[in-house]
Amino acid sequence: MDLWQSLLLFAVLAPGVVFSAISLGWLLGWIPSERFVSRITGVTFSASVLAIAAIVWRLALTGSPSIALRLGNWFAVGRYEFPLVLLADRLSLPFLGLTVVLSGLVGQFSATYLHRDGGFLRFFLLLHLFAFGSLLAFAAGSFDLLAGGWEIVGITSVLLIAFFQQRAAPVENGLRVFAVYRACDIGLLVGVFAMHHWAGTASFAGGLPHLTETQAVIVCLLLLLAAAGKAAQVPFSGWLPRAMEGPTPSSAIFYGAISIHAGAYLLLRVQPILAQSKLASTLVVAIGAVTAIHGAIVGRASADAKTSLAYASLTQVGAVFVEIGMGWRWIAVAHILGHATVRTLQFLRAPSMLHDYHQMRSATGGELSGVGVHWEELLPERLQLGLYRWALDRGHLDTILDRLVVYPLMRLSRFFAKLDAIGWRGVAGRRGETAISLETSARVGGH
Amino acid sequence: MPADPKLILTLAAIFIPWLGAIAAAVSRRQTRVIGFIASFLAVLASTLLLQTAPARESLDEALMVLFSCLTSGAMLVLPRRDCNSTTVSGMLFLLGSTLLAYSTENLLVLLAAWVLTTIPFLAWLFRAGLWRPRVSLLASSIALAIAIALIAAQGQPMSIGQLKGHAPGGMAAFGLLVLAVIFRKGICPIHAWVPDAAEGGSAVPTALLLNTHFGALLVAKLIVPLFPDTARTFFPVLSYLALATALYVAVRALSENAPRRLIALVALSQSACILAGLESRTSEGVTGALVHWMVVTTSTMGLLGIVRLLEVRFGENLTASRHLGLAQHAPRLAVFFAVFGLALVGLPGTLSFCSQDLLIHGTLQSHPLTGLLLPVATAMNAVSFFRLFTRLFLGKRRTGFTVMADALPRERWILATGVLFVALGGLFPSAIVTLRSAEAETIAAQPVPYSSRSATIGSTTLALRAGTYVAARAEAASATETPTSRAGSEGRTPYSNAPR
Repeated sequence: MDLWQSLLLFAVLAPGVVFSAISLGWLLGWIPSERFVSRITGVTFSASVLAIAAIVWRLALTGSPSIALRLGNWFAVGRYEFPLVLLADRLSLPFLGLTVVLSGLVGQFSATYLHRDGGFLRFFLLLHLFAFGSLLAFAAGSFDLLAGGWEIVGITSVLLIAFFQQRAAPVENGLRVFAVYRACDIGLLVGVFAMHHWAGTASFAGGLPHLTETQAVIVCLLLLLAAAGKAAQVPFSGWLPRAMEGPTPSSAIFYGAISIHAGAYLLLRVQPILAQSKLASTLVVAIGAVTAIHGAIVGRASADAKTSLAYASLTQVGAVFVEIGMGWRWIAVAHILGHATVRTLQFLRAPSMLHDYHQMRSATGGELSGVGVHWEELLPERLQLGLYRWALDRGHLDTILDRLVVYPLMRLSRFFAKLDAIGWRGVAGRRGETAISLETSARVGGH
Repeated sequence: MPADPKLILTLAAIFIPWLGAIAAAVSRRQTRVIGFIASFLAVLASTLLLQTAPARESLDEALMVLFSCLTSGAMLVLPRRDCNSTTVSGMLFLLGSTLLAYSTENLLVLLAAWVLTTIPFLAWLFRAGLWRPRVSLLASSIALAIAIALIAAQGQPMSIGQLKGHAPGGMAAFGLLVLAVIFRKGICPIHAWVPDAAEGGSAVPTALLLNTHFGALLVAKLIVPLFPDTARTFFPVLSYLALATALYVAVRALSENAPRRLIALVALSQSACILAGLESRTSEGVTGALVHWMVVTTSTMGLLGIVRLLEVRFGENLTASRHLGLAQHAPRLAVFFAVFGLALVGLPGTLSFCSQDLLIHGTLQSHPLTGLLLPVATAMNAVSFFRLFTRLFLGKRRTGFTVMADALPRERWILATGVLFVALGGLFPSAIVTLRSAEAETIAAQPVPYSSRSATIGSTTLALRAGTYVAARAEAASATETPTSRAGSEGRTPYSNAPR
């Protein structure tokens, strides 16, 4: 292992090690101070930024396309191997750099923002875990490892949505987001298994797995399901406003910058396979375009700053999907980098928005000009009203998913429960409790 | 004749818990200390056995270590309210009987151990009025007894080693053994007794009973080795039933609000696919099944143990139908609960991620549907578990009481050990996976019938595996030295991973 490979390994592992050490200590009774936590966060991410910068410098200097680190197999049985390969190439490095820089910045911001908050330690632990998951997903040299990082990002995202656990709404929204994530992640898992089954590998460190055209279509569609879920594309966009229940710094890094773009990264990674399939490419473009329009319409009717920003993000990510579907790979990467940076800044400034507005108003002597052109006013009034209703219920997407998936599944579950209850009068049966579950989150969750 | 150290260790692992059970029942004081010491000694004996066992034939020993560790941990987690002489002696009796079942190579002894493990529960379930668990446990015992009687009626030896590949008792015995698995494992449509037992019973001992996984043991130890051809033809039916169970129970769990029932359903769904893995005959599938067995066992014990701790602190009316906000009172218990639960449903970074990965890859050849159904079932289980977690631990803090103890030091250390096992096992799975893969190759390999051996060796003298069994194998090998019989005496052929 040379110096550059060591640096890559360090950058990926550092947040995970910090998370593990602090959380184990806490489980055994240690309570670290806020100062310690914020300092260790600063040191960790600063060091990670330096490591990634050094790798970028090295690649730029030598013209080498990538640095790959093969750590052997995570585990191997028979002919099946789970390779542990980290890869820093021209696609993953921008995402790795973005992750460590923004995680460090959000960490520093949160040290003040969450000062004396009861969940200070929890937030920072989850931030480290999130950074580890993201870095693992972006530096993975195989889809197996990518799936591991992907799932870690998902669970930390959900736990941060439910961060303000004293209220029911964040908790129920967290559950809803978790359900959507898990449902869509089936696509990623099955896609990876399909790659193993057909190509014998899911590693892309030495090139993407070889698939026939039909196989490529199936794999792309499965991965598209996962990407659409993670990036809140239509029809899964309903979880995004629910995710705004989390603390603002986490919203910034998850839904303004890293997590929301993870789906796009996955599609960029499989872009050569995607290009083989007209059907999948067209679907990516269509989903992206519909999402962009949906985000633009709904965002205009959003009443709070974070939700507006979330839908603005959605519009841009939709556009990124269109670029990926069209095969404009590097435009998409540039778009993601620019968008993530600007959106993080906007999210972090969101709590001060009113304060900023008052300052501007004072500075201009109370004479603030209009805030842009409302092109929708050019539409017929009935269409405007229709779009407004569409926007208020966020495109009815949650309602559609509830009616098509959640309610039938719950009805089936209750039917099974009735079958199982034959001959059994358990504790719950005696109390006459009614089963409420995901539907509650469907009803309670909305803003 | 010098005493065989393996035999002594096996006897120690079995009889020390039984003696401890008697001591706990008689003394009625210091029951936790007696229980912990007896189970810890069983851990030591089992560990020594594991170290001396060859890697390819260490499944029984590994299971012995796992189960005695679980019992030992359960003794520490057991709340003071439950820590009476009846419970502790029952748990120790269960430990001894289970270790006997794991270690034996004799059908009659296996039957005896199988029945012995159910006795404390049958008596207690009768008092509690739970008919489904009672009937299922009885039915599984009866099915196993008739199957063994059929084998014995044909004049076959009672040693499992001698019966390998012979299909003793024919289709009838095979069918009865499968029936025993269905009843004991809780395969659909006989699944309902598992949540009944979990909810109605004393949480920790019932968790131990459910985690003996005798159904899977029967598959690994009897059905696959004894009936290789029949199993290949008909066993997929059981595998598909297991997959259907995984899916059915996962859907069922979505609307369950009783924590113990919900955990039992999720565990049942997650463990059902162990059968498909064992039957897959691929090294990956069998390894995945064995590792998954360990993870499901540890996680389920942890979860049910924590639920019992919460019940003792909060009252026995825990429900997932509303938010209880217990994390503010017991944050560490919340974290332990979350980690065990996420480990059960295959979170990356935990051991079950590896085991499920292997399970799905291994079963793709024999059961292509597994690749689709298992992720779906796992996703639903994850949602059910997360719902339970959010309802129990998050939400508005309960105002009915002001103080609720978090994990006590003894609970904290033992739960942290369990968490470390599933987490470190997930980060560094090679050690566990490699060990299990060696055993998996033994199970996955096709046993060759070796009729000459069965004629050479006597019938039921091999009560315990250690020592005597090895001696008998040597005797059989020397009796017939043809290449085929040598392969048979090894009990395996070179591993082949080719698609069937």
